[in-house]
Amino acid sequence: MLAISVMNGLVIGVIYALAALGVSLVVGIMNVINFAHGELYILAGYFSFLFASTLGMPFAPAMGLAVALVFLFGLLIERLLIRPTYGNDMYSLILTFILSIVLQNAFLLIFGPYPNKPPLWVRGASEIFGLFSYGNQRLAALVSGAALIALVFLVLQKTWFGRIIRATSQDRAMAEWNGVNTTRLNMLSFGLGCALAAAAGVILSPVFPVTPTAGVPIALTAFVVVVLGGMGSMWGCVVGGLLLGLVENLGAAFISSGYKNVFGFLILILVLLVRPSGLFGRAKL
Amino acid sequence: MSACLEVERVDVFRGETRILWDISLRLEAGERVAILGSNGAGKSTLIAAITGALPFASGDIRFFGRSLRGRKAHEVSGMGIALVPEGRRVYRDMTVFENLEMGAYPKPARGRLRATLEEVFALFPKLAERRDQRAGTLSGGEQQMLAIGRALMGRPRLLLVDELSLGLAPLITRTIYQSLAGLDRELTILLVEQSIEQALHFSQRAYVLENGRIARSGPAAELLEDPAIRRAYLGL
Ligand SMILES: Nc1ncnc2c1ncn2[C@@H]1O[C@H](COP(=O)(O)OP(=O)(O)OP(=O)(O)O)[C@@H](O)[C@H]1O
Ligand SMILES: [Mg+2]
Repeated sequence: MLAISVMNGLVIGVIYALAALGVSLVVGIMNVINFAHGELYILAGYFSFLFASTLGMPFAPAMGLAVALVFLFGLLIERLLIRPTYGNDMYSLILTFILSIVLQNAFLLIFGPYPNKPPLWVRGASEIFGLFSYGNQRLAALVSGAALIALVFLVLQKTWFGRIIRATSQDRAMAEWNGVNTTRLNMLSFGLGCALAAAAGVILSPVFPVTPTAGVPIALTAFVVVVLGGMGSMWGCVVGGLLLGLVENLGAAFISSGYKNVFGFLILILVLLVRPSGLFGRAKL
Repeated sequence: MSACLEVERVDVFRGETRILWDISLRLEAGERVAILGSNGAGKSTLIAAITGALPFASGDIRFFGRSLRGRKAHEVSGMGIALVPEGRRVYRDMTVFENLEMGAYPKPARGRLRATLEEVFALFPKLAERRDQRAGTLSGGEQQMLAIGRALMGRPRLLLVDELSLGLAPLITRTIYQSLAGLDRELTILLVEQSIEQALHFSQRAYVLENGRIARSGPAAELLEDPAIRRAYLGL
């Protein structure tokens, strides 16, 4: 029971971390919060359902295509909705909020209210250390989520793209003096933020099917994770995501499953009481 | 000699407020020139206009004959103008090495990163020692060296330095000026300073900016001897 709860917590925690990394990237570079983050997660789930289940594509290319399409959609959102609002963060908040409602209704209209589930990548279950048996699909989700997070960190640390992202989120004007085209970088990082939500969506939807509104708790949790980990801290996203996933599942298993979402907020409040700028955030003067 | 930088009758606004009036200056290639002026005279605003961070309303700015009108800061940096900004603005959470790498981001400089890095480390050996340290943990003088090193990593033809001495001990300031004096004579340098003594010793010519207008200009040695200037800026 304990072991299974821990595993469940890690699986969902990795997904939270991925979704939060997407939010954090966009907040750090553009100071914009994308309220439709959860709906893009769901959109990717529907795409991968459509390509794999309806059109019969193999699951891997179906997922890749789903993420790529959401990335392009993200570029489009930035160009049409966000860019005209530069300098007024409130407008982008309202616009992406409206977008999230529009997307939810579009999902409802197209796919109906019922859960949709892309095919499993793998079937069956494995014995973990000979102690308990755990679903292979969930294991695969855990491994691929963790691998993707590692990839994000590798890109941030080792590539020009990662370097200009870190520089720009620290000092935007200086990055421009160093030759960074921040208008283009905004668009690209917004698209990537959306793609990270999409990656979380395609990885988790075979386990937790998508419905038109299932993105709401995911996005909310991602925002909580970003605040919990400390605004702008990428490590904070990973630690915060895992922590929240574990607390939710252990709390649900040992205290009550009715309060699953409450535990997350409790942790958030506790952490902020002790460290107002989050786990890894630096205090702003 | 050909002109490196020509500023021709430029006006600059910040929002509705007019900051600079009818500014003209000319730097020959390889010259070292200072712009002096007290607090709020508009020195940093002029730098912002040259680097493309602020648009200029009228007139023109040309860099080796090419107009900078309408160009964004990232384009200007790609043309070979590098800035050591007021307050240094190192990327605090990145290492010394990563800060230097960022300086070499403009395309023409990127391919020669290794070679330029050796030159910068030779100029400021301190930076080589601190290569993997977070820039935010450096002392003020080291941060200024890093900001200069970062600008040089772009292999610029024009180096703009805004308030080199700000917040630094005189001895450190002198050391940094000595390092700058040893740079390749091809490099044109425009210094902006409030504390004028060392700036005038370093430069060949200077302009004096007062309330957004060029009030005087001339050879540095002449200005250094001028009683009015000495009274206004050195408190003598
Ligand atoms: N972002 C801004 N918005 C509006 N006005 C500004 C802004 N920055 C500077 N100013 C004003 O423009 C004028 C010139 O400022 P600037 O920073 O160019 O002066 P400076 O000569 O560099 O001064 P300092 O020696 O203090 O650096 C000042 O009156 C200042 O108040
Ligand atoms: Mg200034």
